[in-house]
Amino acid sequence: MTEVEALASAKATATRLGKAKRLNALLTPTTVVRKSLLAQAKLAHPSGVLYGMPVALKDNICTLEFPTTCGSKLLEGYQSPYEATVVTKLKAAGALIAGKANLDEFAMGSSTEHSGFGRVLHPIDRTRVPGGSSGGSAALVGAGAVPAALGSETGGSVRQPAAFCGVVGIKPTYGRVSRYGLVAFGSSLDQIGVLGRSVHDAARVLSVISGRDARDNTCENRDPLRLPTVPERLEGFVIGIPKEYFPVDLNPGVRRACDRAIRALKDLGASVRDVSLPHTPYAIPTYYVIAPAEASSNLARFDGVRYGNRAEGATTLADLYQQTRGAGFGPEVQRRILVGTYVLSSGYYDAYYKKAQQMRALLAQDFRNVFDRGVDLIFTPTTPTTAFKAGERTKDPVAMYLADCFTAPANLTGVPAMSLPIGRVKGLPVGGQFIGQPYLEDDMIEAAYALERAIPGAEEV
Amino acid sequence: MSVTPEEVRQIARLAELSVDEEHLDDLVAQMSRIVDYIAQLSQVSGGENLKPFIPGPDAVRLRADVVAPQPLEGKLSDFAPAFREGFFLVPKLGAFEGAGEEEE
Amino acid sequence: MSTAAWETVIGLETHVQLGTVSKMFCGCSTTFGAPPNTNVCPVCLGLPGALPVPNERAIQLAVRAAVALNCTVHPRSVFARKNYFYPDLPKGYQISQYDQPLATAGYLSFLSPDRGVVRAGIVRVHVEEDAGKSLHDRFARATAVDLNRAGVPLIEIVTEPDFRSPPEARAYLLTLKQVLQYVGASECDMEKGSLRVDANVSIRKAGSSVLGVKCEVKNINAFSYVEKALTVERDRQIAEVEKGRTIVQSTMLYDSKSNTVRLQRSKEESKDYRYFPEPDLPPLVLPPEWIGEQQGVLPELPATKRERFVSQYGLSQQDAGVLTAERAVADYYESVVHAGAEPKAAANWVMGEVLGDAKDHQEQLRVPAASLAGIIALVKGGTVSHQGAKKVFADVAERGGDPRTVAEALGVIQVADTGVLAQWVDEVVAAHPAEVARFKGGEAKLMAFFVGQVMKTSKGKADPKAAPKLLEERLAK
Repeated sequence: MTEVEALASAKATATRLGKAKRLNALLTPTTVVRKSLLAQAKLAHPSGVLYGMPVALKDNICTLEFPTTCGSKLLEGYQSPYEATVVTKLKAAGALIAGKANLDEFAMGSSTEHSGFGRVLHPIDRTRVPGGSSGGSAALVGAGAVPAALGSETGGSVRQPAAFCGVVGIKPTYGRVSRYGLVAFGSSLDQIGVLGRSVHDAARVLSVISGRDARDNTCENRDPLRLPTVPERLEGFVIGIPKEYFPVDLNPGVRRACDRAIRALKDLGASVRDVSLPHTPYAIPTYYVIAPAEASSNLARFDGVRYGNRAEGATTLADLYQQTRGAGFGPEVQRRILVGTYVLSSGYYDAYYKKAQQMRALLAQDFRNVFDRGVDLIFTPTTPTTAFKAGERTKDPVAMYLADCFTAPANLTGVPAMSLPIGRVKGLPVGGQFIGQPYLEDDMIEAAYALERAIPGAEEV
Repeated sequence: MSVTPEEVRQIARLAELSVDEEHLDDLVAQMSRIVDYIAQLSQVSGGENLKPFIPGPDAVRLRADVVAPQPLEGKLSDFAPAFREGFFLVPKLGAFEGAGEEEE
Repeated sequence: MSTAAWETVIGLETHVQLGTVSKMFCGCSTTFGAPPNTNVCPVCLGLPGALPVPNERAIQLAVRAAVALNCTVHPRSVFARKNYFYPDLPKGYQISQYDQPLATAGYLSFLSPDRGVVRAGIVRVHVEEDAGKSLHDRFARATAVDLNRAGVPLIEIVTEPDFRSPPEARAYLLTLKQVLQYVGASECDMEKGSLRVDANVSIRKAGSSVLGVKCEVKNINAFSYVEKALTVERDRQIAEVEKGRTIVQSTMLYDSKSNTVRLQRSKEESKDYRYFPEPDLPPLVLPPEWIGEQQGVLPELPATKRERFVSQYGLSQQDAGVLTAERAVADYYESVVHAGAEPKAAANWVMGEVLGDAKDHQEQLRVPAASLAGIIALVKGGTVSHQGAKKVFADVAERGGDPRTVAEALGVIQVADTGVLAQWVDEVVAAHPAEVARFKGGEAKLMAFFVGQVMKTSKGKADPKAAPKLLEERLAK
């Protein structure tokens, strides 16, 4: 690509982002993004592997170009004085940062209805949610405004919206991508992930942002992920189908799409076998102890003392804290902070937090038992349903939590996982999920490449 | 209700969140719902003898002791809500007041 | 009030800043006294998205301290978050260690003023980061927060409740400070805040083995306040109990201005820190060989050095104690002896002139060891009187130089040359005929007068040891 082409890409992206404005997926005003994209196109590294590629970033990733709000009124207008490692890597590869995407506040949610700046609309059906918490990123890619976007995962927040919006979403192995500059929610679960219109787009961006970072002690000291080649067939791949992800009452449309995908995998030469991950039903309660616990601590820094929108007129320190946080955090964030504080408090720590960590070890053992018996990859539906209607699950927090039941196990155990579109049900996308072994993303990506080629992902099943 | 209103108030104090009394009942109901849901973990045994699962690297990587601060773009006053003569400002605390560990 | 009926039980928690150049979890400088909020970065400011990376030297110094305190250093320890809100705690939690600390089960022997050598049990040594500073008097209507200190590496050293009096607790602290300085872990300067102490105090009837309810005493900001604060708290508890009340577990703050303690909070309001393992940091794994290396590089510790000075140099316990109080001084003393000075003379000079000069010059040992040895040799050889040597010392301290050359320049070289001396003796005898007659008449003590006159006439240059002999010869004529 030449600079002329990069500028053209910048302009075209700005136009497409403008057209997608009604989705409320982009928090950065279109005029601001346009100006920035043009400026960036002139400065971008022409030899970079992503030269001229526009990538939107979930607004919990710190940037110098645009404010970082985390979808929260508390951080409205906050300009980070440093940028995340992944942003530096993207820019070094010549990518163009195409603005900040809307999200559930502080990445807490599964529908992007909990943003402090309004919900995001599903790109196909505006009455529905795009999923969450990376709903803005997924909607932008789903609407064709950008070829790729960064999101973040704690319980499935890249894969679930990817499935809902009919795009590819990859969560790398925990420790594959630096978290430095990702505003922390659940530190032992958080990973930056990639959404893309194709496996190739998502994988190449992942390849660029992955790799060691001395500033993140939870990031493994490894080279960046090398992009695998697209395989013709999948001979030699052993794919496990866990029965716990295919309950009898699974949505029939989702089941049809998965069955078709599994037939395709067999036709490609993979051997498919039944496996069991017996502790799967406990993944969500485990997640909803550990994630809120870590979040309650991670969000303590938002106290209005050094940054953020401080409540006016507080005359005591207690008022300063309580009013800033009470007014700045939305109800879902406050609920999670309260639950997290509760499960860590003396008297409850053993019964909840310690117990949840034990369950986590059992979940990890489930995966090891399967992978140690010769299985290379696990295939499951990404979500139990297609995109639900806005407002459908906001009354009952637990109903919302259950949207993550197939995605959270990978976050709890650190294994890589990805979703790709495997069909449509009544026009709504269905996602199929691969779960891979730690640091063996290439197997997962190869299988996804092959499956993507073999089935029409946007076809009604 | 598995979580009492007093517990919610206490937890809110620990978390420095203001809870207004008119929403307290709703919050107590929601918290109880969530806590009841996660309490199902107590019915599952096993895992006590497993090594705790820690994702990511096995051991900390230490950093050499050199002065190499990470740069900040702009000034602290650019994002500080209240800043004067180089200090962040908060409402005045008594010399022996407040929740702190160190009293100057 | 009868304190004799009561036994005081004291345990101490000491926070010590480690002598690193950068902070515990980021590369910011630890320099004391910088303008506010200039040694800060995303990590120690607690900005969203920042992450900690531990300082290798801090761990090394912490391990050395733990080893010097005879602790078991654990090859695997875990960082933990201690959660609470305060303006100078940027993240809303402190990264510390909780149930898997760096080191446990040690002891420190020290000399108690009450009961001889006591071994204080050290429960644990762990690493953590410091908080910033809140200044309440800077502005009229606001508290000022400076985060320069936030993130500076600390070790926390917790003792068993092994102290039985305020002076004893103070003696332990001084020994602790000495050991930590020796090991190079910290400056331990309470005025600069590099050593802070909190105490747990309880009382019980003399002879009882059951521990009473303890109260924590905080805000003891100087060594000179340690005994006072502990005494005030002990007395408060005794007074309470003698009035028939029971002690409620509380946290008390010491106010040095009024020499009182006041309640900060009681147990019911006690903090729930919700400790949990720090998810941003994997476990701290230290190879046993590396731990062994830290043991190997430890210098000779103060108690051992003191004993060695007594036996090797024939010094008294007291003098050896003074000379080994600080490692720099002990090393200096030994260099002086190595350069040829006689140990006792060297001891006197170091304890006297050297430390006196250091006190006025920011603790610098200004005279090089070899030069001091040279000065001592000049005195020994009679070349310079003791008074003259002091002048040489002062000059070398100020301007350096070779002692003999300086002595000559100052004109303090004593003259023992009989020819020159004889001239002065003749002058004095000629000038004092009356005293000569009295001396010859039997007043032998007038010799001192004549020696004094010879010194005066020679402007101090005469060797006072050689003068009497010549005087006697002359006066006998």
